[in-house]
Amino acid sequence: MRLKLHASTLALAAAGLLAPGLMLTAGQAGAWSLEEAAKPFAGTEVNVLFLDRPGYNAIKQMLPEFEAATGIKMNITTVPYENALGEQVRDFVAGGDIDIALVDLVWLGNFAENGWILPVETFTSNPALTDPDLDMADFFPLPLKAFGEWNGTLYGLPFDNYSGLMFYNACMLKDAGFDAPPATWEELKDVYGPALTKDGKYAYALQSKRNETQSADSFARMLWPFGGSFLTAEFKSNLNSPESQAGLQFRQDLMKYMPEGIVAYDHSEAVNALAQGDVAMLTEWSAFYSTLASPETSKLGDCLAVAPEPKGPAGRKPALGGFSLAVATQADEAERAAAWLFIQWATSKANAGTYLEKGGVPARQSAYADPKLAETYKFIPALVESWQDGVPEFRPRFAEWPAITEIVQEWGTKMMLGEVSVEEGAKTIGEKMEAVLAEAGYYDGKKPLAQ
Amino acid sequence: MTPKVSRLTLAAFLGPAVFALAVVGIAPMLFAVWKSLHFFNLTKLAQQKFVGLDNYAAVLTDPVFWQAMGRTALLFAVSVPVQIAIGLTIALVLHRPGLTLWKTLTRLALVLPMATTYAVVGLLAQVMLNQKYGVINQMLGWLGVAPINFIGDPQNAFIAVILWDIWQWTPFVALVLLAGLSTVPPEIEEAAKLETKSNWTVLRHVQLPYLIPSLVAVLILRTADTLKLFDMPFTMTRGGPGSATEFIAILIERVGNRQFDIGMASAQAMIMLALTILLARLYIRLFYREVR
Amino acid sequence: MSARSRGLVTEALLLAAICAFCVFPFYWMVTTSLKTQVVALQSPPAWVFAPTLANYVEVLFEDKVGVALVNSIIVAVSTTLLAVCLGTPAAYALARFEFRGKTDLWFWFITNRFVSPVVLAFPVFLIARDLGLRDTHLALILMYLTFTLPIVIWICTDQFRSIPRELDEAALLEGASQWRIFRSVCLPLAMPGVAVSSILAFIFSWNELLFAYILAPKNAKTAPAMAVTFMEGYDVPYGKIMATSTLIVIPVLIFALLASKHLVRGLTMGAVK
Repeated sequence: MRLKLHASTLALAAAGLLAPGLMLTAGQAGAWSLEEAAKPFAGTEVNVLFLDRPGYNAIKQMLPEFEAATGIKMNITTVPYENALGEQVRDFVAGGDIDIALVDLVWLGNFAENGWILPVETFTSNPALTDPDLDMADFFPLPLKAFGEWNGTLYGLPFDNYSGLMFYNACMLKDAGFDAPPATWEELKDVYGPALTKDGKYAYALQSKRNETQSADSFARMLWPFGGSFLTAEFKSNLNSPESQAGLQFRQDLMKYMPEGIVAYDHSEAVNALAQGDVAMLTEWSAFYSTLASPETSKLGDCLAVAPEPKGPAGRKPALGGFSLAVATQADEAERAAAWLFIQWATSKANAGTYLEKGGVPARQSAYADPKLAETYKFIPALVESWQDGVPEFRPRFAEWPAITEIVQEWGTKMMLGEVSVEEGAKTIGEKMEAVLAEAGYYDGKKPLAQ
Repeated sequence: MTPKVSRLTLAAFLGPAVFALAVVGIAPMLFAVWKSLHFFNLTKLAQQKFVGLDNYAAVLTDPVFWQAMGRTALLFAVSVPVQIAIGLTIALVLHRPGLTLWKTLTRLALVLPMATTYAVVGLLAQVMLNQKYGVINQMLGWLGVAPINFIGDPQNAFIAVILWDIWQWTPFVALVLLAGLSTVPPEIEEAAKLETKSNWTVLRHVQLPYLIPSLVAVLILRTADTLKLFDMPFTMTRGGPGSATEFIAILIERVGNRQFDIGMASAQAMIMLALTILLARLYIRLFYREVR
Repeated sequence: MSARSRGLVTEALLLAAICAFCVFPFYWMVTTSLKTQVVALQSPPAWVFAPTLANYVEVLFEDKVGVALVNSIIVAVSTTLLAVCLGTPAAYALARFEFRGKTDLWFWFITNRFVSPVVLAFPVFLIARDLGLRDTHLALILMYLTFTLPIVIWICTDQFRSIPRELDEAALLEGASQWRIFRSVCLPLAMPGVAVSSILAFIFSWNELLFAYILAPKNAKTAPAMAVTFMEGYDVPYGKIMATSTLIVIPVLIFALLASKHLVRGLTMGAVK
């Protein structure tokens, strides 16, 4: 391990074309190794919340290696996504013991503005702590910016990374006479929808449960490809623009090709519907690939195929989501250093391959360079394609998002259930959203218009 | 006559309990009142400020709050009469003489649902009511009923919560009413039974007057518990789909815990508390006369 | 005669139906906890299958439900003991002494039965934060007094009242102090009430979710709060959820059966005897 680090350090120094700062570091600390760097912090305990998802389980499997090399003890508490924000906010407010923040991209603004997380620069400026082979340029720019950067400052490194992908049952499509998945959303609705919705099976599932799933996976997913967005440049509601309305109306029209009760489908139900052969197509996060590919949880076998999400009139604009890890401000000096060493290790270039192998989805470009990987992991080409073009503010990442998502969840669901019309629903969300933003001070210049 | 004791003795006996309850019960409540007069959001602590009664005005004019109250009232209005009807039937069966062993066993069985951890009751509902893997839908299938999407459909989810509330609390109502039935003096009941063959007449004219206290107890306790109802729907539906099962306690938890708006949540809680105390006064007036 | 026996058969069937209605969910909970994930997700559900204890092993040792159960025991037992220590003297005073404000005090004790934990949870979170009590057993033990103390006071007051006053008076004539009388004469005789109220206090503490959920996120996390953490929308492990549920519910059911005659009394705060 030590030897490997040496070799890559040398390679980087020899290449000598990335960040000049890093090169300098490499030059000074030719002997940098994780073991050496961690020596002063052996025995330090680092607390972090994890979710019960493949990316976290992958790191858990790799963890003994890190703990053995560093003597740092990682205390991982697993919580459901629904509780993760609340538990972290309460912990930070109470000056609790969490040392690493698990930051969903939509919490980024919130955590950063409250000063709960530290900029990455705090550590990269310290050569003793920073791996000369950190190589920021190797991260896909979109997830790095979207999951880790707020208002020009980088806080977290992308860890559990997602892009929306189209998973489909190639056998069902073939039986209905389709050799390829739909290229556009319209095609999905007008051609594939009627052909695949029959005999108790449905063409498509759109997980829409009233929680973050409703706003991220369902509402926003249909907004962007049609040219819509949450906000105008002035931070007013853009939900009643013709483009936004077209997207939301499209979602409504598409519902007749989705299973009944789709508003109660969370990820597990939607993934299971595809895995059991009840629906033919599903747009889901890349991380669900392992669930859908495993014979233990899925009947799909070779029928499983993956493509990027369909394009809309405004382009691909796939769902974008993911978590970065950032060092919590409340940690003491030793905990901060140990936390940073863990984050750096977990997201490193050197470990990206193992992480991928164990079910994670690294945001390292180098991890996907080997074209043979696509044979084992069918999702890779689609994923790389998706991360080329996307909107970081797919869901606005400012501190007001937790309040706004609640509004979107409530009225977005009502919309789908037909309790309000698309237009009325959008208007209500818009008004309530603007009230939240006004309260926060975006309209009187108190706050920069960052999302 | 009750002896008069010195203040010191009294303080020694009562002091610790009063002090403890004041610390854990009253102090937080006063703190909540104070917070309810502030804009106080955990994610915006820098913007904390005194806003007077703004939060109360916002709550009282918030349709979401009143919808949650209405839902809570509807749950009460539908499930409690059913609980009383079934509970009374069970109580009358248990009250009849004979089959003693069976009846003892049944009484034991009746104790189980109300003691069960409420959070677990909600989890059980998720497992048993699932559209595809749930045993309830399997049983309905035997009767020729198509699978029902209990948790996923707003209306069905509300019905599912009602059904589950009925499962958990009907036994309680039955046992309370049974206790009421046992207060009927046996000789009166015997005499009535000799005079008429109709069980209904006996119930209406002989037993009912003795049941009134139990019935009122059921009504008031179920009101209080419905207002408190949190664990079961939280683990079952989390208030969804949409806001179909967002009862008042769930709403307050959501505002405080997921929107982090503790000022607003406190105002909502205070309004609920006022309602609760009103009900409690009524209850105590009706039942604890003996102490006065 | 035949009409009578037919009546008996109907009645027996009715009783059996009532039992089944009450017990079936528990049967289903336990059997589901013995299923592997594949069996648990069979459609239609399986009634006959090869049982496995794997879910129990997994939740107890990997998912730290074992630790949570220990936390639950610590919290429930401590709060019960504390409630008995604080509550029995108060109950004795309410049963025996005459003083001004007795009714108001009484009213206040009983009102706690009605107050929703959601009223107290948020301020208590902030107070616990300031006192450094967050995520400690102590925070939960203290908060659970809001319902355990009233229950002990109510049931024990009733019990003390049923003890003949002559005993007190005889002891008083012999020169015993009020405290002596309480400790040595009345408390031993009130033991049945103390036992019943302890069991009820234990059950209510054991079942509590909201305070635990907000105040004890990690080290002091109790079993019901643990059960909630399985609700990730990502994957629903039915077998594990039901195994955890079974572990949580079994102790309370045992206690509930032990105190079955008094459970209703406890739940109604004595409105029904």
